[in-house]
Amino acid sequence: MARTISHAIAILAALAIVLGACTGTSGGPSGSAGAKAVYGGSVTFAMNSDISNMDPMLSGLFVDRHLMYAMYDSLVRVTPKGEIIPWLSALPTVSADGKAYTFKLRTDVKYHDGTAFDADSVKWNLDRYRQTKESLRLGELAPIDSVTVVDPSTVRVDLKTPFAPFLSVLVDRSGMMLSRKTVEAGGADFTRKAFKAGSGPFILTEAVKDDHYTFQKNPDWWQKAANGDKLPYLDTVIIKPITDGDVRLTNVRTGQVQATNAVTGKDVPTVKTDSTLVYQEIAGIGYNSLVPNRAPTFLFNEARYIKAVSLAMDRAELLAKGPAQGVGVVAYGPIAPSHFAYDPSFKPFEKPDVAAAKKLVADVGKGPLKFELLVSSGDAATLQLAQLLQSQLAKADITMDIKTLLFNEIVTLQQQHKHPGMTLIGWSGRIDPDGNVYDFNYTGRPNNDSAYSNKDVDSLLDQTRTATDQAKRKELFQKAQQTFVVDDPSRIFYSFQAAQLLTAKAVQGFEVYPDQLPRFQTVWVQK
Amino acid sequence: MSGATLPVVLPLRRQDRVSTVRYFLRKNPRMLVGVVLLTILLFVAAFAPLIAPYDPIKVNIVDQLQPPSFGHLLGTDDLGRDVFSRVLWGSRVSLSVGLISVSIGFLVGVSVGLLAGYLGGTFDLLAMRVIDALLAFPALVLAIAITAALGPQIQNAMIAIGVVAVPGYARLTRGQVLSVRSREFIVAARTVGVPPLRIVLRHIFPNIANPLVVQATLATAFAILAEAALSFLGLGPQPPYPSWGQDINYSQRYLANMKWWMSAGPGIAIFIAVFTFNFLGDALRDALDPRLRRSG
Amino acid sequence: MTTYILRRLLLMIPVALLVTVGIFVIIRIAPGDPVLTYSGENPDPVTIAAVRAELGLDQPLPVQYAAWLSRAVQGDLGRSFQTHQRVLEAIIERLPVTLELGLAAILISVSVALVIGTISAIKRNSVLDLLTTSVTLAGVSFPNFYLGLLLILLFAYVVPGHLLPPGGWTPFSTDAGDNLRRLVLPAITVATASLAVNLRQVRSSLLDVFGQDYVRTARAKGLRERAVVTRHALKNALIPVVTIIGIQIGAIIEGAIITETIFFIPGIGRLAVQAIPSQDYPIVQGVVLVSALSFMLSTLAVDVLYAFLDPRISFGGAES
Repeated sequence: MARTISHAIAILAALAIVLGACTGTSGGPSGSAGAKAVYGGSVTFAMNSDISNMDPMLSGLFVDRHLMYAMYDSLVRVTPKGEIIPWLSALPTVSADGKAYTFKLRTDVKYHDGTAFDADSVKWNLDRYRQTKESLRLGELAPIDSVTVVDPSTVRVDLKTPFAPFLSVLVDRSGMMLSRKTVEAGGADFTRKAFKAGSGPFILTEAVKDDHYTFQKNPDWWQKAANGDKLPYLDTVIIKPITDGDVRLTNVRTGQVQATNAVTGKDVPTVKTDSTLVYQEIAGIGYNSLVPNRAPTFLFNEARYIKAVSLAMDRAELLAKGPAQGVGVVAYGPIAPSHFAYDPSFKPFEKPDVAAAKKLVADVGKGPLKFELLVSSGDAATLQLAQLLQSQLAKADITMDIKTLLFNEIVTLQQQHKHPGMTLIGWSGRIDPDGNVYDFNYTGRPNNDSAYSNKDVDSLLDQTRTATDQAKRKELFQKAQQTFVVDDPSRIFYSFQAAQLLTAKAVQGFEVYPDQLPRFQTVWVQK
Repeated sequence: MSGATLPVVLPLRRQDRVSTVRYFLRKNPRMLVGVVLLTILLFVAAFAPLIAPYDPIKVNIVDQLQPPSFGHLLGTDDLGRDVFSRVLWGSRVSLSVGLISVSIGFLVGVSVGLLAGYLGGTFDLLAMRVIDALLAFPALVLAIAITAALGPQIQNAMIAIGVVAVPGYARLTRGQVLSVRSREFIVAARTVGVPPLRIVLRHIFPNIANPLVVQATLATAFAILAEAALSFLGLGPQPPYPSWGQDINYSQRYLANMKWWMSAGPGIAIFIAVFTFNFLGDALRDALDPRLRRSG
Repeated sequence: MTTYILRRLLLMIPVALLVTVGIFVIIRIAPGDPVLTYSGENPDPVTIAAVRAELGLDQPLPVQYAAWLSRAVQGDLGRSFQTHQRVLEAIIERLPVTLELGLAAILISVSVALVIGTISAIKRNSVLDLLTTSVTLAGVSFPNFYLGLLLILLFAYVVPGHLLPPGGWTPFSTDAGDNLRRLVLPAITVATASLAVNLRQVRSSLLDVFGQDYVRTARAKGLRERAVVTRHALKNALIPVVTIIGIQIGAIIEGAIITETIFFIPGIGRLAVQAIPSQDYPIVQGVVLVSALSFMLSTLAVDVLYAFLDPRISFGGAES
């Protein structure tokens, strides 16, 4: 009986694939270029977890940014290709020594609560982010020395030392501008009820925790589309947190949700063949890595052990057969395909080399390699990956024991550099390669989870921050990457996350960005 | 419970005991069924390494997600491992957790109950407050909190489930002790000067053993379910070792893709094990409790 | 009676204190530093120290407990580490959901138990009796989280037409119809766990009652069996059922915890299950305190109700 059902399903699936190949679409923004955008309508978007904070100053979660891009504007923004574009401000002029940034602000912007956006507001926001004790933006804005109001539409930011990635930092939370009046009126509760605090294309009107966040169109928004249309098109946007991948997908297929950016690997083949849906996927800027503890007296202080694991690992198989089921791209280092510093020919460990791995371990001469991998308990997908990796390493006589612990404990052990083996860490990624590289590989930085220290890398990375020429920065990054990936590994990178966007057919104008975040201002619904 | 007539147990001669057991079983066919089921379960757990057709841990990624077939009776999971073999091996975890955690709860709970019931006074007052506090905790929350505190390993799940089971035993024992305490032969023993520990062990305990045995059997059923629930929530044994609840947790995300066999195996296995203990406990209760015998 | 109630209420205080101390200690034993989780993706030592101070975790443990307790008795249960929402507010938001689920489950469980239990008691020892007892025993042995998953599989994916949704929740006030649709599967899942216990209780109380004098008298008088059952037996058999319902409240919270997790229902159970591993101390402490208090209050209420129902019972002696 079971066999018959399975066979029936297999036949139906095969049929669907054949039919789907003729009608399905993938790649490229949804909608045909020639169709005329229609005003009105509503889109419900599902994200994969609930937010923690609506205040950019206190926000620590990736999902928080979904809402923030809808209701707040930043000083500058980014295109899908990774270029930084003017937004609330024109692109700044930078002084010759790279330390003074002068921003010319837009004069036609008003916050949702009616107050005006001006240089005073920018100064208040930046100072708030960089000087409030519990601000989570302190690290990002540390290079700032002072913020000065030159005139009502000009602000000058002076840095302590030149910092090449500075502008990219202002694209996201650290550059988001909020209305002082509403933030101060909200007090401690502001972070959960951030109505009318921004100037963005949509106004937050309802926030029900764990359930939905409703936004209404901002009729006075300042931006226009390329063809001159006033934006946004939609009347309403509803964002819902739905943690379970199956429930999320079912909601999309039954039409209760019209768009989502998180589709589990195993479901991708199904959505690609569904003619009522449009699936887009590009390489994201986030990466997944295997992080050893390289602190002195610990096992992986020995670089050859890390290289052995890197050689024995079959990255292609992990991507194809693991939980990702082929969604994403194999990674050897942290510089992503959409970063300007990316080198597509950098493929140091393309095929697993069991013999070389065994030889390295033998060279160290302390017997077979055996270590612990800490995995967050109950995480089914990651545990599958871990067990697959375990079987790959076993081929090279490397014994990796899986130890499940609660997530918080793993985070603590990592921060204290006290665990004897490795952990799995993913990073959501930043627009500038510096955001993917610096804090993770520089001696003593807080996100340097492997306690890695290499003076050459430190010096190269410092130069990437002071160099102003992008070609020079690219060269420096690649040189550093060669060291911290191959010669003296800081950690083992194995895949880049995919940026996905699944939309109902009627939803048009929705573009997928490498940072995986949705931008609703260009979206419209076909009637 | 109070006021019920409890049979006084006298030591029997060997041949009397054997024929009594046989007579007992014949008169209670449900007990027989229960015992047979239990034996099968214990047999599977003990001989899983010999019965299982495949290695439950060896990853065979090319064969991932195969539906049931003759080669794999219950199909394969997302790492290509034989589900049937994993189910057989998983019985070891579930049964050992069930039996050990019940033993912990039994030992601690019964001791507390015996002492509280016999000694009375301040000890009773204090002990019962602690027991009340334990009862007021939602049991699963307590088990999760304890397992989280000690670390998501199988030993800690055993401790957590054991702790959760303590109040039930304590109260039951104490109630039984209270009702038996004033019986003539106990009072006689006290007057004569028999030391309290002896009275408790030789005289009181055998008389309250019956309901405790029933409770223990039913509690094992509960413990197996609790272990499965904890594993399902991610607080169980370390992978890649098979555990029923954990395997359901790992495979539930495939249910929407109609890959049902990975969770069906462990699910049915849990059901059979729990059903066995429930059935046995029920049969024991009917056989041993004279009150029910009268009206049943 | 009033002295009894007062005494029970008074005894609740030390027990509640024990509970709060217990959970306070247990969750802090768990290894792992919650401050690191709540300091964002890229925390530096300055931020971490600031967050630690803000969450009050830089104080010694007894100070932390005393601070929490003194605020708790005034009704301030603190703020969640993760969302900064007032704990009391979070609980009040989610409690009605769990209560609705629990109520529906009790309704289903008790009504089914009453019907089947009565039939079983009347047709005692028949094949039907044996069948129903075995089936309910089977039902209670089935892991209820798996039952939930199977129900979802069946009604959301297998049965065509997506009859019932695979989880999620709409408040009753927003859309009563959708709310009830989403209630069906989870309520059934929670109800099955307690079904067997209720069934057995109804059956054995009815059997007890059948043997009583007044029933025999009614039968001798020639009353039809149905009248005997409904008018006399059932009323008295309900007393132990009320006790059982009281105990169910604890069991309902159990079942709710897992069911809420599987069906993504924003109730108290799911709040606790998420808060424990993520070390959101104020939420865990608040939820445990509230549920312990409600458990004790409901047990008391049931005992009092029990006394009203059965005039033969009087209080004032030793506790059971």
